[in-house]
Amino acid sequence: MKVQDLVTLVPWTIVAQLCNLFIQLLLIKRFLFKPIGEILEKRRQKADEQIREAEEAKAQAQAMKESYEKDMAEARQKAGEILATAQKNAADQSERMLQEAAGEAAAIRARAQSEVAQERRKAVNEAKNEIGGIAMEIAGKVIEREISEEDHRKLIEEFIENVGEAS
Amino acid sequence: MNIDITGARIFYTFPFDFPILGKFSITETLVVSWIVMAVITGLCIWLTRDLKVENISKRQAFAEMLVETANNFVVGNAGEKFRGLVPFVAALFATSVFSNLISLLGLRSPTADLSTEAAWAGLVFVMITHQKIKTSGIGGYLKGYTEPIFIMTPFNVLSELATPISLACRHFGNILSGIVINALIYGSLAAASAALFRLIPGAVGEILSHIPVLSVGVPAVLSVYFDWFTGVMQAFIFCMLTIMYLANAAEE
Repeated sequence: MKVQDLVTLVPWTIVAQLCNLFIQLLLIKRFLFKPIGEILEKRRQKADEQIREAEEAKAQAQAMKESYEKDMAEARQKAGEILATAQKNAADQSERMLQEAAGEAAAIRARAQSEVAQERRKAVNEAKNEIGGIAMEIAGKVIEREISEEDHRKLIEEFIENVGEAS
Repeated sequence: MNIDITGARIFYTFPFDFPILGKFSITETLVVSWIVMAVITGLCIWLTRDLKVENISKRQAFAEMLVETANNFVVGNAGEKFRGLVPFVAALFATSVFSNLISLLGLRSPTADLSTEAAWAGLVFVMITHQKIKTSGIGGYLKGYTEPIFIMTPFNVLSELATPISLACRHFGNILSGIVINALIYGSLAAASAALFRLIPGAVGEILSHIPVLSVGVPAVLSVYFDWFTGVMQAFIFCMLTIMYLANAAEE
């Protein structure tokens, strides 16, 4: 078999090796760099997407938190209002009850007082009548004569008036 | 002891004679180059099978690492504007490394043929010149030869031409020296074992002397340097210089 020289330049081999290098370049581009580049790009996109999604979720959570806090504040305010109203109602009611009780007590006392006054008046009248009778008896006995009824009464009245003034 | 180191074998020569180029021959260099290309392409296809976005296999991680390394190597040394050059440098490096290391399988390295390196270096030279003209214009490029003074022009032309020649010869010389030294070692070890066993008298010594027992082991150690180290190193140097020359050419 023929051999070429150990150190030699063969034009055709140079051309062929140039072609081989170009073909190798295309093959390595097609079968290594293209698929790997695509997969790296895909991974980059996915990572970007995940970051974006995470940011969206975070914003959503933030909005939820804000609305929740707003609701909570509203609820707290409402509860405060309800409590205040209830306290006011209770205070009003107790006030009213106290007033009613006081009114009632006053009425009872007034009634009692009027009763007492009536009783007193009655007693005074009875005493008046009795004293009148006694006085007439005494006077009859003293004078021993029957004075006219009219004079008699006038006398008694006078007497009682005097007694009343004196007492 | 008889050692014969020859160039690549010629398998078939087409009978047509082309002007300048001469006759086209299918040589060992070309056949092994095709094997190397098939191996590299097969490896690429195998590495990039069922790629996934997440939960990737070790194989895919390795493929991604290769691409990233190539990117970092080119962009890190030459800058962002040479990103388009990454596949070329990767192809050059892969072809060179696999061509150098295929000698471990007993095939003749395509890089043990100066024509291969001449093709690569010539291409790189064209790329460098193209880059220089693109950077400073055809006038600026030609004017560069007359600097610092007009009298320096011949030397500048020489140094310019030295670039591809040194690039090609450095690579070729290292690979060829590995082949020569390997042949010398095998030859001398065979001669040594023959001399050793011929000390045994009679037919036994005669038969044993034909078996190069000493060739087992010793060349393997030396091949770590002459095949593995030199093979990878020369491919690396070739690519590194290519990038450096191009980056220099792109500077204003």
